[in-house]
Amino acid sequence: MQKSKFLPRGRKDRTVVLVDIRETKSAKAADLFLQVRPGKDFEMLTILRAMIKGEHVTDDQVAETGLTTDVLQDLIERMKKAKFGVMFFGMGLSMTRGKHMNAAALLTLAAEMNAFTKFVAMPMRGHGNVTGADVIMRWQTGYPFGISFNRGYPRYNPGEFSTVDILVRGDTDCAFIIGADPGATMPRPAIEHLAKVPTIVLDPHVTHTSRLSRVHITTAPAGIAAPGTGYRMDEVPMPLRPALNSPYPSDEEVIRRIKEAIAEKPDWMTDQPQMIFSQV
Amino acid sequence: MELKVIENATCTFCGCVCDDIELHADDVRIHQAKRACVLGKAWFLNHTAEHKYPDALIDGQPATLEEAIQVAADHLYQADMPLVYGMSNTTCEAQRECVEMADLLGALLDSHTSL
Ligand code: SF4
Repeated sequence: MQKSKFLPRGRKDRTVVLVDIRETKSAKAADLFLQVRPGKDFEMLTILRAMIKGEHVTDDQVAETGLTTDVLQDLIERMKKAKFGVMFFGMGLSMTRGKHMNAAALLTLAAEMNAFTKFVAMPMRGHGNVTGADVIMRWQTGYPFGISFNRGYPRYNPGEFSTVDILVRGDTDCAFIIGADPGATMPRPAIEHLAKVPTIVLDPHVTHTSRLSRVHITTAPAGIAAPGTGYRMDEVPMPLRPALNSPYPSDEEVIRRIKEAIAEKPDWMTDQPQMIFSQV
Repeated sequence: MELKVIENATCTFCGCVCDDIELHADDVRIHQAKRACVLGKAWFLNHTAEHKYPDALIDGQPATLEEAIQVAADHLYQADMPLVYGMSNTTCEAQRECVEMADLLGALLDSHTSL
């Protein structure tokens, strides 16, 4: 592992703490493994926040999370002693009981740790350029995801405007899917809704979602045959250097052309104002 | 067929986005992806420049790109609450187009992040 001016002994100068509901292979690579009871993330994070501030927490309350007061006290000491702490979090936090509130609790913890030392939180990313999607949406709309433009200006509300919820509730009547395959990963009711409404897919492959879609357009794979920019997980933009020339157009070109075809039609806002006003 | 070497290529398979990959490629496929991990190698070697799939499919039937673009635009325009979703395995330039399209449509816009 990288040795540096401030961490001359490399890995030995670093501490890795793994928090999970079961002991995975990563536990071997960690210095400390905390096995939290499933669905108790929010409780554990809140207790940590309380203990860091010196509030009284009973042993029973700690025991409910599957951990002990001593273990948490030791963790807090290590955290406060760190020069620069990073909390990496994944879908285990945001897809279980509590969902967005778990992530919010973790972000608050990271913010509060800055009273003692430098601390940040960073979501772990599975797919290529999800970070880029966050950055671009933040730049263009002010919000990172879960956005609705249906009043003509962007509004943000995860849970209401997040895709799984939209699809499970059956709110949308047309889906445009790019660089994703929800037909392979989403819960059944969500997939069933995608099959019911006209779905449009842009992908280098004919995917599960393409098979239940009305329109599939094959595009050049980004980074392999299409140029552009991709963001690394820590929000550093990287230029892509494609090695191949694809017989297919890039995503960028296809979306631009669809957008132009839509722009030729009358503006829905001025043309059908009753859509927004008569229903209020 | 000419063999090209691309230095410092970027892998976009996972969030690490390694940018020190050395690619050896001819016109059709990538033969070697040095310094990439197992996942990255599979990602680079599995994509080719062949015309493997039809340009577009409408209701499961092969169609031209132009037709597909028109049909897609019609569906999106006619919808009361269209959804634009995904944007992971694509470029920032394409993501920007997505935002503009969602704005134009009055659509819902969301990425993998919400999962
Ligand atoms: S080479 Fe491996 S670790 Fe690096 S971006 Fe590609 S898949 Fe991720």
